[in-house]
Amino acid sequence: MKFLVSDSKPENLSLSAALALAAAIMLVPANFLPVLYTQNGGSIRTDTIFSGIVGLCQAGWWILGVIVFIASILIPLLKLVGLGYLLIAARRGSGAHARPLTRLYVVLNVIGRWSMLDVFLVTFLSGIVQFGVLADAEPRSGIAAFAAAVVLTVLATEAFDPRLLWRQSAATTLNTSVS
Amino acid sequence: MKQLDTPKVTRAPALPLVWVVPLLALAIGGWMILREYLNHGPEITIEFASAPGVVPGKTMMEYKGVTVGEVQKVELEKDLKNVLVTVRLNTEAAALACEGTQIWIVHPEFGLSGVSGLDTLVTGAYLAILPGTGPSAKGFKGIDQPPPPLHTDLGRAYFLQSNKLGGITAGSPVKYRDIKVGEVEASQLSDDSTQVVIRVRVYTPYVELVRANAQFWNAGGISVKVGLLGAQINTTSLESILAGGVAFAIPDGEPAPLAQEGTHFALHEDAPKDWATWQPKISGHSPESSPPPSVRKDQIPFLH
Repeated sequence: MKFLVSDSKPENLSLSAALALAAAIMLVPANFLPVLYTQNGGSIRTDTIFSGIVGLCQAGWWILGVIVFIASILIPLLKLVGLGYLLIAARRGSGAHARPLTRLYVVLNVIGRWSMLDVFLVTFLSGIVQFGVLADAEPRSGIAAFAAAVVLTVLATEAFDPRLLWRQSAATTLNTSVS
Repeated sequence: MKQLDTPKVTRAPALPLVWVVPLLALAIGGWMILREYLNHGPEITIEFASAPGVVPGKTMMEYKGVTVGEVQKVELEKDLKNVLVTVRLNTEAAALACEGTQIWIVHPEFGLSGVSGLDTLVTGAYLAILPGTGPSAKGFKGIDQPPPPLHTDLGRAYFLQSNKLGGITAGSPVKYRDIKVGEVEASQLSDDSTQVVIRVRVYTPYVELVRANAQFWNAGGISVKVGLLGAQINTTSLESILAGGVAFAIPDGEPAPLAQEGTHFALHEDAPKDWATWQPKISGHSPESSPPPSVRKDQIPFLH
């Protein structure tokens, strides 16, 4: 009979941290490379996520621009920053502020899926707008990087074990028991 | 009670396997950015007197009908006299930018001798480029007019000298016995401005016709002669009336040797008398009707 005895928590932390780091790396090409090529009656443009938002605002669709900005730039960034903060807090293992940190984790877990808005938009446009010379839309490499970043962020959040936020280091336990 | 096995203690690897994921992300992301960066060729700037219809991010640069670059920005020069157009070339087209390269803006054109640039009605203007042969360069001066076509593989060019242009324009036909055998490519004043020099091109199948003693005359317009016995109107075709034209004939007798590329001929005002009765025998394979310049002899089946 064999037992595998393992203090599994640190591995969990490093899995989540590794995925979060990979997501952060993929966010760079996602934001700097073009995500969409559109051709409309001979006028050709390739858009990055940001230039697409600027284009929406200039065309007067500024509400739409704000939504895309929140979904595609703000949320992925905030989610990664929040996850990074949780990872650092869990690694310190002080057990302090465990309750608000857990609440933050729940929020992060919920909002991330929104970020696929841009991916849906690009795949939808590329599938529907295929009128040859008149109008044409094609995805560009940036959208793959963006999708990868969003999926990696979701996986990193899932891999994070919120119980680690409640773990107290030996020193802290000792101090609390004395006082 | 059975004794438990002694536990096997393994150390966790110093670097868990999961850290391969960010390394992979770094490699893929780096490769994507590198590829995008490498696909960006050099940036060139072109100075135009004016640049109507040139829009940054929209106007393309084309060479042989293929997109080779994109206009990045259009700005006025500080002295407000010229427009600076910045174009980013694709990597594979980087060799186009060299000294002597000619760049012009293509707009739709409607002329008597044809319509050109019709595609720009839909797509907007584009920049056309004709590469030079010098060392690579970054700054260029745009030209106002497209350079005359250089069909070096299509026939031979000759120069005609005349006292006046007389209604001849680029694209006017060159005729032999009223069959179109070539066209006028360009015209300019001679170096000392005493004459007009016209460059004509005779298509490949008809090059045999142009002999050193060829007589060229201006066949454009209508010539009207009114005499005692009535009026006589001479013209060759409607196209010649509208766009002007050049005709030539070879005098009777044994034909003179073939005229070399770039030979200068005098262009006479009127047709030589009785040219129609000249019967020099020149053997050659002439197609049934004048072909467009793009049709080669070997593509016409009934020649064989």
